[in-house]
Amino acid sequence: MRVDVQGLTVRYGDVTAVDDMSFSLQGNKIYGLLGRNGSGKTSLMSALAGYRRPVGSVQLDGAPVFENAAALRQVCLVRHSAHAADKGDKVSYVLEYGAAWRDTWDNGYALELVELFKIPLGTKVGELSLGQRSALGVVIGLASRSPLTMLDESHLGMDTPTRYAFYDTLLHDFMEHPRTIIISTHLIEELSSLLEEVLIIDAGRLVLQEEADVLRSRGTEVTGNASDVDEFTAGLTVLSSRSLGRTKAAMVYGALADDQLVRARQLGLELGPIALQDLFVHLTEPVGGKR
Amino acid sequence: MKIFRHLTTSLVTFCALVAGGAFVFAVAVTFAVSLFRDVEISAWNVAASQIGPWFLLFIGVYAIHNMLPIAVAHGRTRREFLVAASVFSVVLAVLMTAVEWLGFLVEGGIYSLMDWRADEHAAQPAYFLMYLVWFAVGMLCAAAFDRYGPGGVFVLPVAFALVVVTRVQMPGAGNLPFVQDIPVLLGPGWTAALAASFAVALAGTWAIARDMPIRTRSV
Repeated sequence: MRVDVQGLTVRYGDVTAVDDMSFSLQGNKIYGLLGRNGSGKTSLMSALAGYRRPVGSVQLDGAPVFENAAALRQVCLVRHSAHAADKGDKVSYVLEYGAAWRDTWDNGYALELVELFKIPLGTKVGELSLGQRSALGVVIGLASRSPLTMLDESHLGMDTPTRYAFYDTLLHDFMEHPRTIIISTHLIEELSSLLEEVLIIDAGRLVLQEEADVLRSRGTEVTGNASDVDEFTAGLTVLSSRSLGRTKAAMVYGALADDQLVRARQLGLELGPIALQDLFVHLTEPVGGKR
Repeated sequence: MKIFRHLTTSLVTFCALVAGGAFVFAVAVTFAVSLFRDVEISAWNVAASQIGPWFLLFIGVYAIHNMLPIAVAHGRTRREFLVAASVFSVVLAVLMTAVEWLGFLVEGGIYSLMDWRADEHAAQPAYFLMYLVWFAVGMLCAAAFDRYGPGGVFVLPVAFALVVVTRVQMPGAGNLPFVQDIPVLLGPGWTAALAASFAVALAGTWAIARDMPIRTRSV
């Protein structure tokens, strides 16, 4: 499903959460929506899901989404499970909602996921642990099989093994049922291998939209003898570094010129792709006055 | 249609069970009271005319505050939900009126058997319209508070005016301070007044909820 956003602005009183944002998503990819707390991720997703009337334009496959029955049928936004379920409802009842109201709902898959994430069907949503509620949100999102599925930090409450199970499940399901999936997360490195394209927003504005591989090529991880790494990175923009004994790894922003590559080889340094998380921090927080 | 079906299957069953439970409780209380003094009023009338409207108001609030966001989260438009909820309000009012009628029928039998006396109660159309208006006013209040937060308080005077009209046909409730004998004043136009109240409450709900943002709450 193609997503077109043009001049989108979301305001809460005096606060501008999304500020004149424009972008297009071609669809059938897993997109990462990255941004610091309060950067406007949830507001953006709310507008994409038709939760609020947009100032500007939000179109799905060329049709406006707000109060458009045909377009809304194609969308599912989940942030934990709170607004897709009532706290007083049993989990089994929540699944009934999905089955009753969503044409694309796959109840067999929902039950499979509930078992995978060990969510008790007879328990009320309000009595589930944070991790179980997060998992229930993921179940609602994935089982909806919506052409545009958005998971707004919905997996953050899960423990590490459950998150890894979620990543595997997400990838497997996406391979079997390709669709447009947008995930916002703070756990960037954990999820980075799944992301095909990344949008980074900051202070309500789109900072960057790029293929994840292209984004990674914007920087280099330089590893080797600490003094050699220091010599090599002198004058370059170093996003972060870590040392272990005499070995040091530094994240360098910007493409390396041919002569720098030759010098790295001479110094015996290893060059590798940069961590997405370091790039994200650099792009959303001024380093040395530069962004 | 899916929303209407879901509202009907879930809430109608719930409301019928609550009404049934209320009837059993009313009869039990009557029997308990009869041990100490003569029974002179209908306990079911108290439940049907005093507690019933508040229950319908609560269901109206629940429909907008809880179920509308769930409907949108599951890919339904506000318009679809409001159409379904509007039709559902009539169905629910009919059901609750039927339960009220059945309750008076059974209670009447019990009172005759026990030789108890009951006070008068209103006609079925009065109960039907009262339940209809209170449900719609519940939706109106929920929409106002959900959309405007504390600013929703400004809808309360309107809500109060709308529900007060429904009380005029209830025995013993036809007088207001400074306005006496409202049933006489309204005459046969009381049904039109109640229908207008329902229409105003519904129109207000639509106007407020049609563009209402759905809050992305986290648990």
